[in-house]
Amino acid sequence: MAFKRKEATIEATDLNTITPEEAEKRIIAGVKKYATNEGNWSKADANTPFLGHIIGMGIESSNLADITMSIERQFLTKKTKRVPVSEGSAEFKLEDGELGKLRILDGQDATAATPGLSIKMLMDLGHMPKNDAYLSKVVSFAYITSIGEGWRTNDALKKLVARIEKLSGTEKDEAKANLKALCDQARAYEALIADSAAFATSRQKIGQNDQAAYDSLRQELTVLEDKIKGVSATNDAERLAALRAEEAEVRTRLKMSAQKLTVSGTVAREASQRTPVIQAKIEEIRALLRQSLQEAERALA
Amino acid sequence: MLSSKDIASLRIQRWLSVLAAAPLYAFIRVVLRWRFRYRFSNAREFQEKIWRELDAHDGPVFWAANHLTLIDSFLVFAAVVPWKKLHRTRLIPWSTPEYRNYYHLGSLPKKISVRTLMYLCRCIPFLREGEDAASERWRKRVFAKCEWLLKRGEAVFMYPEAGRERSGWLERHRPKDFLGRLALEAPNAKFLCLYVRGDHQLYTTAVPRRDETFRSYGALIPAVLPGETTPRAIAQRLFDTLADLQEEWFAASSLPKNCGGNDVLDLKSPRLAEHFDAESGETDPEWMSRHLTAREQKSLEALPPGFKRFAEACKFIAAKEAAHKALTQSGIQTPQGGFLMLQADLFRRKVVHLPTGAQVDVRFTHEDEDKVHCVAVLRGGFIGDDETPGDVLWDVAEIPPGDDPHEFARGKCLEFIAESSDEISSPALLAFTDDGGAPKVLQGGKVQDWGVSLSHSGRYAAWSFMIS
Repeated sequence: MAFKRKEATIEATDLNTITPEEAEKRIIAGVKKYATNEGNWSKADANTPFLGHIIGMGIESSNLADITMSIERQFLTKKTKRVPVSEGSAEFKLEDGELGKLRILDGQDATAATPGLSIKMLMDLGHMPKNDAYLSKVVSFAYITSIGEGWRTNDALKKLVARIEKLSGTEKDEAKANLKALCDQARAYEALIADSAAFATSRQKIGQNDQAAYDSLRQELTVLEDKIKGVSATNDAERLAALRAEEAEVRTRLKMSAQKLTVSGTVAREASQRTPVIQAKIEEIRALLRQSLQEAERALA
Repeated sequence: MLSSKDIASLRIQRWLSVLAAAPLYAFIRVVLRWRFRYRFSNAREFQEKIWRELDAHDGPVFWAANHLTLIDSFLVFAAVVPWKKLHRTRLIPWSTPEYRNYYHLGSLPKKISVRTLMYLCRCIPFLREGEDAASERWRKRVFAKCEWLLKRGEAVFMYPEAGRERSGWLERHRPKDFLGRLALEAPNAKFLCLYVRGDHQLYTTAVPRRDETFRSYGALIPAVLPGETTPRAIAQRLFDTLADLQEEWFAASSLPKNCGGNDVLDLKSPRLAEHFDAESGETDPEWMSRHLTAREQKSLEALPPGFKRFAEACKFIAAKEAAHKALTQSGIQTPQGGFLMLQADLFRRKVVHLPTGAQVDVRFTHEDEDKVHCVAVLRGGFIGDDETPGDVLWDVAEIPPGDDPHEFARGKCLEFIAESSDEISSPALLAFTDDGGAPKVLQGGKVQDWGVSLSHSGRYAAWSFMIS
């Protein structure tokens, strides 16, 4: 089966007939035209972020959906049968059916930040068999985003050191205050990522905002339901219709809020789990930061 | 004009509310403290300041407060009135809640309880909507009741924004005239301007989160100054005072005040243009459905096929990207690729973050055959319009061939900030850092609350920051 898209004709492959490594290679190849950092793309592996220019492939945010669409175009799955989530619901989930085009539903790709995490997404959704050996090499979403922060801090530190070396006089003195602040930030990050318990707690706190947002929306729905109940007893059909429309809108928002909560829940859960691959990535960025901090201290001296 | 029956019923309501004041006050306090675990952090000094001024004023008072949650009236009341001032019944305000929001809630027993509570809390139901004669009559009667109360030296509570501001920001450039109109009827009155907000209140919600701590700021100012003859002049001064109190609140807050964003899209970038068929003038429906909500797609379909439709689709995306950056600065995150969680209304120039309902103002600064550029403001200042320049400064430039777009945008942004300020002699005094995925600028070793935003797409880079 072939899908035609502009000049490119892509042979789609059944996800159950290839290894995760093969699928990973195809995913990386599929995003080549969107990658603005050719260097990082050419040596990309399971843990190379799609976004970001320092260690990422440099894909622009307006092309984010193209990553998912590229994955969909390349693979076939048996999860093609649309089944309503509940009776009468317009929402559906995909269950086993005829082999057909892969479809990634809205929100399902929220944590697919790297090729490896995209494979994990496909496994979690049942499009391909789970492979623990492969997954053990994949850095979790919680850590890929946090390690990215470390790289950005390191990059900012190195660039500021380089700039300060070219300055002189009062300009240099004033710029040093910024360097000192960046050093403090780098040290705080390094201490946090080194301490797995503290790191997990910090990620859980971020999730609390999403929980508060969800709870607030639930309260808004409760108020609306109360209004509907109250207005139902009157003959105000126009008002009732307006409230029903508002209720449908809040329910849609609640669904999205729940999706967001799932992402922050995933981050909170994963933050307390460190595999050897994650630990190695952490040690790599910690070593780099320590080195940059030494250079910064020399520049501050 | 009020009938004698109206006046009699107001007198009865006042008398009953005085009788119920102490138990009601205790009930409100207990619910706020024990049910929601709310605290008021600067209550004592705030109340002392406010009551010193209130005690010295023997005329009517308009309570005018910011509006973020459905229970603000209770929160503001609890923040302002200590036990020992409950006997000042003249200064306990009358409120005008929207009839359709509160008077038909839930089952019959609930409806009766809510109505009783509101009656005893000196509520006069108001009807905001409806252009028919009955609705007009209703509104006129409520205004007449307020005038009657004010002329007797009583207090009336109103929200000058007339509703909950979905961005969570009281905007001084958008005054509403109704309080100015009412003030002209009671020129000896004073405005009790109040800004009460929870430390974690990022945006408008039904109720504040549990365990919230509130900080309150206030000022008592004359309702009408000599020479003020128009409702707009009065409303503008009221909004300016409230906006100043809001500045005070944010100055002592850990929340960033300035939350802005910007986004540029190169319409001729091959990576973007591949979703547009120049021959048929159609856009790729699959790509559209991943970026635009059903409502956005519908408004796009109303346009004739062709470049305009493609450019309009890009405007939606740029608006949503810019809004996403403004939201990220405030701590409201949108998951990666969550375009459908944001809904833009290009006519109203608003983007709504659907999971939270937070609303962001957007404005297009460049729209031509090559690019679209959009700036967005959640809070911190005015986005600007055709008459009033805003608090966002921006620039868009072509990236020189061979330059790293990211580095180009960063370097240019620092240059632009330095050029725009008399106090920053060189961009070398500034440096970029990162805070939770949002770029921040350091000056003098401190992270500056400037709402800085960077963007690049194809041949163009853009940057913006806020000067408020």
